[in-house]
Amino acid sequence: MNEASLVGLLFATVSFGALLYLAALGELVAEKAGVLNLGVEGMMAVGAVTAFIAGVEFQNPWLALIIAMLSSALLASVHGFFTVGLGAEQVVSGLSLTILGLGLAAYLGKDYVGLPPGAELVPVEWGPLSEWPWVGPVLFSQAPVVYLALILGITVSLILSRTRLGLALRAAGESASSTDSAGHSVLGLRLSAVAAGGALAGASGAYLTLSITPQWAEGLTAGRGWIAVALVIFGAWRPGRVGWGALLFGGTLALKTRLQTFGVDFSPIILSMLPYILTLLILLIISIQARKRPSPAPAALGLAYRREER
Amino acid sequence: MRRPRLSLREQPLPGGQPLAFGIGLAIALFVGILLLLGAGHDPVKIYSRMFEASLGDPNAWSITLNRAIPLGLAGLAVAVAGSMGLWNIGAEGQIMAGAIAAAWVARVGGDWPGFILILMMLIGAVGGGAILAIGPAVARSKLGVNEIITTLMLNEVAIRLVQWLIHGPWKDPDSFNFPLAPMLPDQARLPTLFSRAHFGLLIAAAVIVVASVAVRYTAWGYELRIAGSSEATARYSGISLPKKILTVLVLSGAIAGLAGGIELTGTADRLTETISNGFGFAGIIVAALALMRPSGVAVVAVLFGAVQIGGQSIQTLGVSSSVSTILQAFVLFGAIGAGVLSRYAITFDSESHLTAEAKS
Repeated sequence: MNEASLVGLLFATVSFGALLYLAALGELVAEKAGVLNLGVEGMMAVGAVTAFIAGVEFQNPWLALIIAMLSSALLASVHGFFTVGLGAEQVVSGLSLTILGLGLAAYLGKDYVGLPPGAELVPVEWGPLSEWPWVGPVLFSQAPVVYLALILGITVSLILSRTRLGLALRAAGESASSTDSAGHSVLGLRLSAVAAGGALAGASGAYLTLSITPQWAEGLTAGRGWIAVALVIFGAWRPGRVGWGALLFGGTLALKTRLQTFGVDFSPIILSMLPYILTLLILLIISIQARKRPSPAPAALGLAYRREER
Repeated sequence: MRRPRLSLREQPLPGGQPLAFGIGLAIALFVGILLLLGAGHDPVKIYSRMFEASLGDPNAWSITLNRAIPLGLAGLAVAVAGSMGLWNIGAEGQIMAGAIAAAWVARVGGDWPGFILILMMLIGAVGGGAILAIGPAVARSKLGVNEIITTLMLNEVAIRLVQWLIHGPWKDPDSFNFPLAPMLPDQARLPTLFSRAHFGLLIAAAVIVVASVAVRYTAWGYELRIAGSSEATARYSGISLPKKILTVLVLSGAIAGLAGGIELTGTADRLTETISNGFGFAGIIVAALALMRPSGVAVVAVLFGAVQIGGQSIQTLGVSSSVSTILQAFVLFGAIGAGVLSRYAITFDSESHLTAEAKS
């Protein structure tokens, strides 16, 4: 293994990490407000395809990113309408959303398969920082979305822990009836959280088609939405821990395609099981600890709220 | 301001779930018309083709029924767990675990007589599905770990296990280096009933009937449903919840595993990555549309199978398979919405009490 390939591995770890982080952060926001959204995979796919289409049509990566975020937020709002508005079962609605999103992405993108990208997010130049050995090529020559992910992670963390809005949002996920009594709109909080979560999943999908693999093909998201769902649990619903988890899981994605170049005789398929198995282990540890201290999961996660039934 | 709000109906609307499914289907067909027109197709031609290919003649019925087998068994697996208020999201993985186990039996017993081989394959499949469910079952019953997430994670593990097997240890040496598992021995194929329908239909029907009776009419099923409606009541009446959770989740996995075994010996000719082509996820939807009642999954599975087979058939007319995927999603959302509205009415408050008080 030489320096170049190691730098390549670390670079890919950070970029895949950012990809997973964006989607997981969105899921975290929705779950913090009490809504489990198993539609991440579908929202990512819609974000990826709309970003690609917008890139081809308008040749502006930033516009493409915004369109992708809005599209996925709109899709997420379908889940919001059914689960928050009507109080339908979150698991069923979320899985249906994945089916809808994957179907819509394939339908919208069928004329764009194999086309060259119209717009790409070019890596940010940090001047001398980018020249720095090791650190420069790994951290300071990434696409702007990577830094956006970091900024969004810190922002979400601060909003959740330091602001009244964050407090209300978390309260909606812990005890909807007391949030309602305190004069906050549970409906409004949860709907916004789900839509915001969708926008972040859309940004993650857009990062795929605007930078990581700048092309569109059906099945491009390749199950990464499920890793994002896992990450939220892995990170115990904390933005910071989810970020470290995203780097770890991003590392397994990066390593998967590179095992052979490193001359390691280990099946990349087995390696790709790792995020899920690690999440299962963490879930077990959390549960064993939960006997002594409260579980980090939002207490009202998955529960519909109807005022008259409280 | 007049604000819409949901209020519980005193009586659910008559027709309830069948009506909901019908409304879902109607919405889906309408959206389908728009999608087809948008892609420049003739909706009438496409829809008549869908109907002919799925329910038009005995041959079409046989294909639809073959699809209904994994959908129905996966739906049953979810519904059995659902009767107790548990979510088995892992049917997809359990189907694959069942298929892996059955394929393994076929490797070991390649020269056994057909009847014994198939029987052992199906027993293996039941075991395979159960094994994948044991972890989540124990974690839920002993530690209270949410089974939704554990079963979901194991889906991803199981699909990769299948991929690993057919790319590695089980790769057919005669496959010219394609990642393909070897073909099953000829005697490992389930006999046919009529047209293309195979014997698995009877097995699936029998399992669904037995499970429905067990949940509906036995003491065991009664306890299950009590535990599903109120944990406190169950505990008070001396039902051992941990034991019940454990058996029900493992049973659920075993049923899904059987679906994988039947799919392998009945429809597929070898273990492939798509041995469970989303059947486990579709099973969740089948069970939800059947209101988690084991007795309802058979009908829903046949209808849903018809939607899927009809959707596949129009690909030959140049319609993208994504249209059928979107149609399925709209059936689901339509049915989810109609299901809620059969139990709740939308009423308009002229002004809520709180704001009225605040203003006075």
